[in-house]
Amino acid sequence: MTTTGNTAGRSTAATPATAHGPRLSFVGILRSEFIKLFTLRSTFWCIVIIVLLSVGFGLLASTIQVPHRAGIPVPPPLTSAQQQARAVTFATIGSQIGELVLAVLGALVITGEYATGMIRSTFAAVPRRLPALIGKAIVLAITAFVIGLVTIYGTAAIIFPLLPGVKVHPHWDNWTLNESLIGGAVYLMLIALIAFCVGAIIRNSAGGIAGALGLVFVLPIIVNIIGGLTQATWIGNIGSLLPTSAGGHLFSYTNSKTQVVSGVLSLDRLDGGLILLGWFVVLFIVAAVMLKRRDT
Amino acid sequence: MIEAVGLSKHYGSKTAVDNISFTVRPGLVTGFLGPNGAGKSTTMRLIVGLDRPSSGTVTVSGKHYADLKAPLREVGVLLDAKAVHTGRSARNHLLAMAATHSIPRKRVDEVIALTGLESVANKRVGSFSLGMGQRLGIATALLGDPATLILDEPVNGLDPEGVIWVRELARHLAGQGRTVFLSSHLMSEMAQTADQIIVLGRGKIIADAPVADILAQVAGKAVRVRTPDVAKLTRLLAGNEVKVTQTDPDLLMVNGLAAANIGEIAAKSQVVLHELTPVAGSLEDAYLALTEDEVEYHAGSLETEATL
Repeated sequence: MTTTGNTAGRSTAATPATAHGPRLSFVGILRSEFIKLFTLRSTFWCIVIIVLLSVGFGLLASTIQVPHRAGIPVPPPLTSAQQQARAVTFATIGSQIGELVLAVLGALVITGEYATGMIRSTFAAVPRRLPALIGKAIVLAITAFVIGLVTIYGTAAIIFPLLPGVKVHPHWDNWTLNESLIGGAVYLMLIALIAFCVGAIIRNSAGGIAGALGLVFVLPIIVNIIGGLTQATWIGNIGSLLPTSAGGHLFSYTNSKTQVVSGVLSLDRLDGGLILLGWFVVLFIVAAVMLKRRDT
Repeated sequence: MIEAVGLSKHYGSKTAVDNISFTVRPGLVTGFLGPNGAGKSTTMRLIVGLDRPSSGTVTVSGKHYADLKAPLREVGVLLDAKAVHTGRSARNHLLAMAATHSIPRKRVDEVIALTGLESVANKRVGSFSLGMGQRLGIATALLGDPATLILDEPVNGLDPEGVIWVRELARHLAGQGRTVFLSSHLMSEMAQTADQIIVLGRGKIIADAPVADILAQVAGKAVRVRTPDVAKLTRLLAGNEVKVTQTDPDLLMVNGLAAANIGEIAAKSQVVLHELTPVAGSLEDAYLALTEDEVEYHAGSLETEATL
């Protein structure tokens, strides 16, 4: 009954019935978010800075040779595993500073819309809101992962031919080495996503960026200082669970758990990755609940 | 068709919209009028679900806005010319909005042409004047070719040519059978555009009637009287139902007495009259009369300010 009533009402209207033709879809939301991200200059600046940082620091690290001083015994040559570990460090060292930039980008993706009022247009088009938040997160995740992967492998491709100069011989066919490089990209992606969630919760550009950087960079320092002063194991363990330290295992070549010493937490790559993922999931749920509840 | 039933919105202890019910019908331009702070924008935000009602419901085409399958194609909304990222060009903003509903690129070009934005479409919105921003907002609202248009202060910041354009556009869209709901704090604007007017004051509906009816409420009730003896005539005329206002040294506006009665009273007491003219009520007068007690922010007296 109601259906026929609606159809009758529609057919008299001058506009085409919305039952046919374009309508809101998740694929459309994803496309929209891609357009939004890549039509802002800030996105390109972030990418340029990340690439420059990664390649620049990689080159710097891999070409510096500590001059040998007389009187100091010559260090033994590195084992093959140590050489691979060093190659991974050089390839990812710049992106550890680049993560700052990705965290800013992640926060800006959402706070930029609140700052400019764009969010109202976004929610007018996607009134259920959550699909827009998920769409933004997916687009950011893909973008950050691809940026991370291309940057890290690009840096590796540039610096690996130079490494024999410092007596490091990386092996491209070493799976752990590749796992670490890919892990670096996953790490950057999750850091960007965590910053995005903090931005979605705080909704203000300055606050969002400060909150994200505080969580990612400042909190570990504070916990470290407290841990150092108190020498308490549990504080050290909390430190290991923070995003940067837990996530660090994602791109660390040394992948096995160290021996467990009296209650000190030891993590491997998977543990670290899952803990970082956990940070994102919890923050995303908080962001989603607040998004649904708050007025815009 | 927009239907609100018992709609309220409180922000903390402050009531922005107070239990209002109204219907905006298709095929008409409905004006939403009220002083600043009356709750017009809040009501419009409630309609499209940007704010959550404290109580009551509002539907568009019989559904809650969030339940619409293609919101942009049902409802075009201009809430704020600034609801656009300033770092993006107008065209890219429209393309991003269109993408959500898979609206073809051709339609983006159409609304750019329709709103006269061709020359600035590739410029960043941050460099736009208020008027251009307003045009972009209207272009965004029209993007989905929607059956209902909600425009909050659409003529704000537009030049006279733009004002006429919006007026004609609103009339044209209503003529096609669409629902057009536009707000303004300027009665004169509404008089020329709207068929139906809803007047809001302090979150409550003061009037909901065709423009002609609202005009009729005050039509012919005021009389302009010019006399050299203002003081005496004021004394003679003033009474319970009569309001006398001096507008010039020799000019009075009299409400509540017919011109003939005023003439007779003046003749009886031998007061000279230089002019005696019944004034047709303007929509502006009607509006001021209606909202007299409902203005939220009264201008403070200048003298009080000076003593501070």
